[in-house]
Amino acid sequence: MVDPKKMSVEEILAACRGGSSSSSSPPESKPALAKDEPSAATGKPAASKPVESKPAAGKPAGAKPGGMNTADILAAARGGAAKSEPASASDGPAPAKSAPGAKSPPAAKPGAMSVADILAAARKGAGAAKETAAEEKPAAKKAPPAKPAAAKAAAQAEPEPVSGAKDTSSILAAARKGVKPGPISKEEAKQRATATIEKPEKSMPVRPAKPAYAIPSPPVAAQSDRRDFFAVVAGSFLAVGFSSFALTNVVWLLGLARFMFPNVLTEPPSKFKVGFSANFAPDTVSDNFKAQFGVWVVNTVYEGQRQIVALRTVCTHLGCTPNWLEAEQKFKCPCHGSGFYKDGVNFEGPAPRPLERYAIQLADDGQLEVDKSRIFYSEKGEWGDSASFVAV
Amino acid sequence: MHLTLEKLAPFLGSYYLVLAVMNAVFGYFLWEHKKNIRQAVFWTVVAGAFTIMASIAYSGQQKLMELVSLPEAFRGFVDGNLANPALYTIGTSAFLVTMFLFRKVLVQPVVAWGLLVLALLLMGLSMADVQFAEIVTKPDNVPIVAMVFLLGYFTWLATAQAVKNDERTARGEDPLEKLNNEKILVWPDLVYTELICMVAVTAVLTYWAVGLQAPLEDAASSVKTPNPSKAPWYFLGLQEMLVYFDPWMAGVVLPSTIVAGLMAIPYLDFNKAGNGYYTINQRKFAYLVFQFGFLELWVTLIILGTFLRGPNWNFFGPYEQWDAHKVVALNNVDLSQFFWLGLVGYMPKAPDGASEIAKFGWILWRELPGIIVVVSYLALLPPFLGLTIFRGFYKRMGLIRFMVMSNLLLMMMLLPIKMVLRWTINLKYLISIPEYLLNL
Ligand code: FES
Repeated sequence: MVDPKKMSVEEILAACRGGSSSSSSPPESKPALAKDEPSAATGKPAASKPVESKPAAGKPAGAKPGGMNTADILAAARGGAAKSEPASASDGPAPAKSAPGAKSPPAAKPGAMSVADILAAARKGAGAAKETAAEEKPAAKKAPPAKPAAAKAAAQAEPEPVSGAKDTSSILAAARKGVKPGPISKEEAKQRATATIEKPEKSMPVRPAKPAYAIPSPPVAAQSDRRDFFAVVAGSFLAVGFSSFALTNVVWLLGLARFMFPNVLTEPPSKFKVGFSANFAPDTVSDNFKAQFGVWVVNTVYEGQRQIVALRTVCTHLGCTPNWLEAEQKFKCPCHGSGFYKDGVNFEGPAPRPLERYAIQLADDGQLEVDKSRIFYSEKGEWGDSASFVAV
Repeated sequence: MHLTLEKLAPFLGSYYLVLAVMNAVFGYFLWEHKKNIRQAVFWTVVAGAFTIMASIAYSGQQKLMELVSLPEAFRGFVDGNLANPALYTIGTSAFLVTMFLFRKVLVQPVVAWGLLVLALLLMGLSMADVQFAEIVTKPDNVPIVAMVFLLGYFTWLATAQAVKNDERTARGEDPLEKLNNEKILVWPDLVYTELICMVAVTAVLTYWAVGLQAPLEDAASSVKTPNPSKAPWYFLGLQEMLVYFDPWMAGVVLPSTIVAGLMAIPYLDFNKAGNGYYTINQRKFAYLVFQFGFLELWVTLIILGTFLRGPNWNFFGPYEQWDAHKVVALNNVDLSQFFWLGLVGYMPKAPDGASEIAKFGWILWRELPGIIVVVSYLALLPPFLGLTIFRGFYKRMGLIRFMVMSNLLLMMMLLPIKMVLRWTINLKYLISIPEYLLNL
């Protein structure tokens, strides 16, 4: 057998069923033998019985899941009643009968008593008890009459071999059937049907009268009024709850909105002066205003015209800040490698359009003034706008 | 942080020592449990060789260290001739295809072990190069290196299981996973494993936190972008994708398509085989498509982005100095420019003062070649595929499912196609309408 530690539920069940099937075999075979060959059976040696019933016990794997359910047992009983089975030949003395059943425990793990086991044990016990009565009453319809029934009803018979392990159905069956455990004839069954069972009167202790303090006093009107005060004010408790919930949410939302406007002002003025145009030599890029204002001031030639422009330091791909590489004379973005010529036109990498220009103009004092509030897009043809450059 | 050979020496020495111990243990295992004397001896010899390398590396002397590093000429060759994105991608694809084709041999434990040791050895030898070591040992990148090996291990594990199952299926047996059906060993097997994992992870994290500096950078500034500027490692594939696509495409459309496509897989899959067990042969199409998308289009791009992309997002060889002034000549051209300037000689342009609608018409006219290409790719190719190579698929999936699947496939293939076009003809966009922020 498998190591118990590694046994799956299925295996355990199988093992139990193997045991239970062996233990339940007696009920199976008994009715048949009791009914069919009451006389012939007695003649046979008891020894043959274990041999016969062993196959049933021997193949646990072949046993139907669940071992024997009630329907099985009934079917077996009926089948046994209908056709005579040589298998169940011996109706020997009780010990011989229960022998195969007694053999089962070793197969079933003692620790692993499943419902099936318990049932099987009960049935086996019933079988053993039935044994004594079985000989005369072959016409048993109910295969597993329970022991309690035997104890209660069959006053005639023997002491009970097994106690305990009674299930509801067997008790009921015994009660309905009246008296005797084990197979009975139909006539007997009819007779017994009329018999009644006396139930012992149950005596209950008398409940003491309630003390005065335990008797609930009728509610005072004033109390309920006080309790309903808020309900009156706000409609109901539900309303109170939801109102405060909604209120909390509103406060939260307001707080969130406030969060969007931090107490700092990082933005430099959008209009600022960058110096005189003479400071910006031809074909140079001034990096000086990048850190503070995010602007390159470039003196370059665009479409045949020399101009000074203010380029925004934001990559038109995804918004990183490119770097001006003096040696290669290009703007190069560190994020995905977009490259722009000095005039801001894109030529390599994924950036789809040129850098953007800010508005630039000559201020009254002759300095160049950049206005970041206006942006000019080349792809929209706005670089022709005279506000987007200062011609030099 | 500037590494020198002396600083590297203790690390490299320990690295080789660990390799030696690993191989010694492996040799012992072969000897004791597999009774494979010849192989045991071999791996023990390997372990001995690593011990020698360890002692050389510990010395930290320039002359000696050259013994445990790759030859200068080789490194120069790799940097000079092999280091470009096209070769990298072709190389990784070829590597993965080889792995796939010879998987029956490669998944054998001893072979896999040999590959692992080779990879570690190559890494150790490369690490004697300061440039390489500086990139690999950057606190940002250390986990990525670890994950590369981890991914290799899990890929091997899954492939080995699949190969075994496929062999069993060929013999008419049940897959391995079916043998122990319903048997879950929880106590103590699983619980102990979990406990050990917990302890190990805690130890690694503690060591990591103590041993490596946090990769902190300068204070954030809207006008200063670190160069190179890298996405979190798991998004480096996306960042690489952004090199070839418009931000809208690579940043929004394609990622959403990836997510939606992954969610659609269970509904598109009609192959009932492979449920609950590893297999390759029974689901070749699904396996290949997924592994292509994951290993080739995602993982190798992460590796590329982490180790081979330097300042200005230029491609650098593994042993190359990250020079921010490296000049890479690139001049990307849109398809419309190819067509109009190359074949016709001028770009169509709306006359001045044209109405918005007229301008739009002119734009469409300008981009017509690209529009035709894209529409036929996404709309005409699926039916064509359905009638030819995917005939069986079409029959089993029905119209809608087939259309969804083929379009997802085509979307996925957009990336490699655009990469190839960029490398070969410097193509920037198929459709380029910057006026409306629409580029493809
Ligand atoms: S953000 Fe500049 S290239 Fe992507």
